[in-house]
Amino acid sequence: MAGDGTSPRAVGAVVANDLMSDVLLHDADDILLLTSLASDQAIRTAHIVGAMGVVVHNAKPLSETMIKVANDLGIPLVSSPLSKYDACVRLHDAFLAEERA
Amino acid sequence: MTAEEICAKVGGTVAVAVEGASAETVYVGDLLSDIMGHAGEECALVTIQNHLNTIAVCTLVGCSVVVICHSRPVPPDMAEGAKREGVAIVVTPMSQYEAALALSSLPPSGR
Amino acid sequence: MGEYNPTILQGQHTNDDEILAKTPLDPKALGGDSSVIIMELLQRFKVRDVMKRQVISISRTATLREAQAIMRENRISGLPVSENGRLYGLVSVNDIINGLDGGWMSDACEDHMATNLVVLEAGMPLAFALRYFNNYTYGRFPVLDSNRQLVGIISQRDVMRALLYELSVEIRKLERKTRGGHEQEDQSKEHYFRREWAVVRNDLSRAGHAANDIKGLLRERKIDRTVVRRVAVAAYELEINICIHSHGGVMVLLITDETVTITAKDRGPGIPDIEWACRDGTSTANDWIRSLGFGAGMGLSNSKRVSDEFDIQSEVGKFTKVQCVFRIPKTGN
Repeated sequence: MAGDGTSPRAVGAVVANDLMSDVLLHDADDILLLTSLASDQAIRTAHIVGAMGVVVHNAKPLSETMIKVANDLGIPLVSSPLSKYDACVRLHDAFLAEERA
Repeated sequence: MTAEEICAKVGGTVAVAVEGASAETVYVGDLLSDIMGHAGEECALVTIQNHLNTIAVCTLVGCSVVVICHSRPVPPDMAEGAKREGVAIVVTPMSQYEAALALSSLPPSGR
Repeated sequence: MGEYNPTILQGQHTNDDEILAKTPLDPKALGGDSSVIIMELLQRFKVRDVMKRQVISISRTATLREAQAIMRENRISGLPVSENGRLYGLVSVNDIINGLDGGWMSDACEDHMATNLVVLEAGMPLAFALRYFNNYTYGRFPVLDSNRQLVGIISQRDVMRALLYELSVEIRKLERKTRGGHEQEDQSKEHYFRREWAVVRNDLSRAGHAANDIKGLLRERKIDRTVVRRVAVAAYELEINICIHSHGGVMVLLITDETVTITAKDRGPGIPDIEWACRDGTSTANDWIRSLGFGAGMGLSNSKRVSDEFDIQSEVGKFTKVQCVFRIPKTGN
């Protein structure tokens, strides 16, 4: 997991999208971006919208440059073997559990 | 789950109706190459890619229901292609994440 | 062997102009300021600044076999033969090969060493040394001081390495000076900050880097968060447009007390129907671009939507220029 290691921000909103131009349309703060796009673009777009993290799905290999850009821009980057859909459902369950706790 | 039931769950409208179109699993994705690599047969595809290429990919993958998010308009060539290939199109105002949650009773598409 | 009198050739001193004329680097080819810096470095630095001062050498009476061992251990191809600082000759790999072939490896080095040596003087400018590297095939030259003492050895790699390092130091100094200079100059007229980024067509690995930089710069200046977000989105969209749709161009950021302006200018191909291009969902992107996640057709409409003022001009075959202006809200200062 790359990133600048500063205190983690809470998830404000979840965006599951592979089209970066669409991601730019979201006004929310502290977005957690779920995507299958394993490219530098995902990180750069995340930086533009002030996202708090990026998750890349289907265990897609992350290139060295992608990790480097994530480190440079201070964006936590996670690789997940789950599909985006699976992750959405599980995340939602986790958020609900957190609220109840 | 039939296309109509899916439509109800995501609070959308049916843009292209196809008799008997149904899905057993769900795949969320916008990158066509990614969909081709991971979406399974009989899945409902949740995406914002509102163009003809999406239908082509659906036929390759064997999916017969497409859910277009953020109320993106369906262009005429995509609608015609969908009718021809027997792929139902549902348009919803929800985001991919919200639509995923709405359909969460269905299992994820595996490959 | 009779009287000891090895011939040592030395570089002839000539005036600076001649040196420059014969230098392998072509100053015109480098153009502009960089050539001045390089010429200056080549003149300013002497051989002694760049040479290796620890010279591995061997005595005259040592055998070729010993020379071979030393050369192998230290991985050098030329071994000066010297005693008490006096240079007598040089044993090269060739001499070793001949020795193995002829079977005289137990002979003394002085019987087989090269004595017609080209050496350099420690005080010679590098420009001069380079000329010799060019004219001779030797990999390295022994260096003598004004008392004809062996003080070092220099190879072409040593010269290149030193030059490159100094060059980068000089360039960094220059950059700092011009950047500071610009700011000084501008602050005398109005308070404004201007920076440009080049955008290369189809360079998707870097696509968005200007927008990332712009966002960073605005955050540093503590500009209102919502304005920063809007500027970043517009900058990103416009930069990607230059990257995937044009022949290449520039992104310009201009910050004044009251506004932030982003200008995206490219060298073509131009937009035939501007109104169509600015609509949601219309795009000329091909399948390859779409497969990478771009080309949804939202770029111009997004930029327009987030900016306070939006202007677009284009001429087919010539250029496209898009300008977005954002007003900075007044804070109670």
